[in-house]
Amino acid sequence: MLLKKYLSRFSGLIVSGFLLLSPLLASAQNLENGQQLFQTLCARCHGMLGEGSEGPSLTRPNLVHAPDDAALVSLIVGGIPGTGMPGSRQLRGQDGPDVAAYVRSLGELPSEEMPGDAIAGAQVYRSIGNCSSCHILNGVGFGIGPELSNVGQRRTAAYLRRSVTSPEADQPRLVDRFRGSLQAFLTVRIVSELGTYEGMRINEDAFTVQMRDMAGEIVSFEKSELISYEKVEGHSLMPGYNSVLNEKQIDDVVSYLMSLK
Amino acid sequence: MKLSLLSKTKLFSAFFLLCLGSSTVLADTPFEALLADEKNGADWLSYSGGYKSQRFSPLSQINTVNVDQLKVMWAYQMQPTGISGAALQETTPLVAGDVMYITESPSSVTALDTRTGRVLWHFVPDITNDVLNIGFPRINRGVALLDDKVYVATLDARLFALDARTGAVRWETTVADNDVGFSLTLAPLALDGKIVVGVSGAEAGVRGYIDAYHSETGERLWRTFTVPAPSEPGSETWQGDDWQTGGGSTWLTGSYDPELDLLYWTTGNPAPDWNGDLRPGDNLFTCAVLALDPDTGEMKWFFQYTPHDTHDWDANQIPVLVDGEFEGQQRKLLALANRNAFYYLLDRETGEYLLGEEYSFQTWSEGIDDNGRPIVIPNTEPMREGNLVWPSLQGATNWFSPSYNPQTEQFFVPNRRMGAIYFKSDVEYEPGMPFLGGGEQPLDGDDASGAILALDVMTGEQQWEFELQTPPWSGVMATAGGLVFGASNEGNFFALDAEDGDPLWFFNSGAHIRTNPMGFSVDGNQRVAITGGQTLFVFGLE
Repeated sequence: MLLKKYLSRFSGLIVSGFLLLSPLLASAQNLENGQQLFQTLCARCHGMLGEGSEGPSLTRPNLVHAPDDAALVSLIVGGIPGTGMPGSRQLRGQDGPDVAAYVRSLGELPSEEMPGDAIAGAQVYRSIGNCSSCHILNGVGFGIGPELSNVGQRRTAAYLRRSVTSPEADQPRLVDRFRGSLQAFLTVRIVSELGTYEGMRINEDAFTVQMRDMAGEIVSFEKSELISYEKVEGHSLMPGYNSVLNEKQIDDVVSYLMSLK
Repeated sequence: MKLSLLSKTKLFSAFFLLCLGSSTVLADTPFEALLADEKNGADWLSYSGGYKSQRFSPLSQINTVNVDQLKVMWAYQMQPTGISGAALQETTPLVAGDVMYITESPSSVTALDTRTGRVLWHFVPDITNDVLNIGFPRINRGVALLDDKVYVATLDARLFALDARTGAVRWETTVADNDVGFSLTLAPLALDGKIVVGVSGAEAGVRGYIDAYHSETGERLWRTFTVPAPSEPGSETWQGDDWQTGGGSTWLTGSYDPELDLLYWTTGNPAPDWNGDLRPGDNLFTCAVLALDPDTGEMKWFFQYTPHDTHDWDANQIPVLVDGEFEGQQRKLLALANRNAFYYLLDRETGEYLLGEEYSFQTWSEGIDDNGRPIVIPNTEPMREGNLVWPSLQGATNWFSPSYNPQTEQFFVPNRRMGAIYFKSDVEYEPGMPFLGGGEQPLDGDDASGAILALDVMTGEQQWEFELQTPPWSGVMATAGGLVFGASNEGNFFALDAEDGDPLWFFNSGAHIRTNPMGFSVDGNQRVAITGGQTLFVFGLE
């Protein structure tokens, strides 16, 4: 038993040490092995495609507990104390790094040719777009919509183009340990004795709902006191910019947003 | 060290005797007390609050009129052990006299003073971080009490008997081999002189069983396998060597009828989970309830809820024993709201199927036939390209407890409302590795929801529902005060009016709740307990 314990710890160190010196191997063979192991060992909590279920979504470039690849391999093999992540002692040799390479691939976005001019896009963002009236970027702006400081890491150019022209087209899901699994940026309309409120849902449980109204104010309600509560599916608080910006300006602003990494 | 701990405990006991005039501080739990557990609202001596597993508190001091006055009397913060992945707490506390016994993930035990929440002793088994748990979190659901001992089943598949006064180990035994994927997460069931446990591990391709151990010595008294070997009854439902890795784990505490002297234990999925092509046949006795002779383990009857399951719909839900009039005849019944979205009534003396009613949206069955067999809709099994089916693999309900109020004949079920895209894939058995043959992609977010349901116990007809934001992982407890206590993923602990489901009180615990409520009393004052996140909360009026 003691020997087993030592061997197990030793193998964990080898995995971590190896990776401190070498980058993850991401050949098709490594990724295929990693994917197979992921679907066997990880998918039950993180989903077959890594988009999150009981466990958090892994389809993002920055993982809270894995600032670098060595940390990612270490937590895949050894787990994370204080969380539901148990680790997988079954992973031996190259298996841990292969799972890590596959997990990293889930959060990577394909590199894309940008048709626009990012510098001109920054100007559009600040002037005619007036985007700062609803978004915070590098500490500047008003916070009604999502923060955009690193949006180029999280979204593709096609996604951002849709967000500018048809903001209601995508309804991303939010998965975090404090709020569980919720549709993000959901528009809600609430009528209480104090008045009528429209805004973005921040959080909700069976008894209460919290929202941010169009003035950016946070309002919290007990559902039992509401006159009506409507979740407005397929709607976005952000206006579409097709009629505000021309094609070139849209290209430019998408290029600018994609440069924010 | 042990002597020192013992003497400190004695001093502590003496202190209480002086200060509070209490007759006992640390009470023993004889079998006779377990037989009377259902009627005894002051204690909570077994996982489901009595052998009938009704999870009903006969106390009524907290009721529909005053429940909105509930306040936290004390809280206890659980102790991290350094074992990774052990952050979910699923324990049901037990209370005997003035002591509460809880487990903490993965397998620690803590004794607490019920008046103050102060720790009396804390036991941490020597589990290492490389323990295997395949297909479920690193959790524990609670202890069993019998005479002067506390019994805990551990994640690395051992059973410990602890001294109730000090937490010292009286004996330990290995129930199963963790290296091939067996684990124990359930609260054991104490009978007269024996401790019964079941195993987890179907996701690793184990062959499940139920064991009974001598309560004083730890000697194994019997073992009943849930998957038959060749030539044994039920073996005709398996082909070749499939039975050796056939699953049928037994990971949830059973029920007991002392008059019939029958032990009722449920079984889980066949293995591999989602690729049924690899195990043709009905795969007895998986996804079933078994009635066993508690002295020998001999199977008296069985009922299989989901033959040849391919969706991981374990029947490991609490079998609730109910006595009453069914279709004009007084019957001894076994009620179970199954993960497969149907509510069942069986005659618990004979195993006769009486009723099977859909209680939650599902897309896999046209109903249950006269023999209790589901009428399966074609093309609803997992597919290589994915196949959308309700309910999800976590089921329309799961391990968390239902509750039955015998005064109103209401059966309360926490209900998960979620579909999933089920996938099938190839898999080969390898000891200690997941043996799944596929997976699922749940439809969660705002596409999924949950509810607390009240059903007429004799018909399965829904009386009311209270909607929850997301599919719950918490049980319910009804009380003689006309209340149903429940909890949500969002961290709410709440009380509903049992008559119509109206919410009367709620509390934000600040973290995911994933356990069962229970109740007891301190100096005649009713208490209700629940764990949210890593914190156990005890509520009362005064």
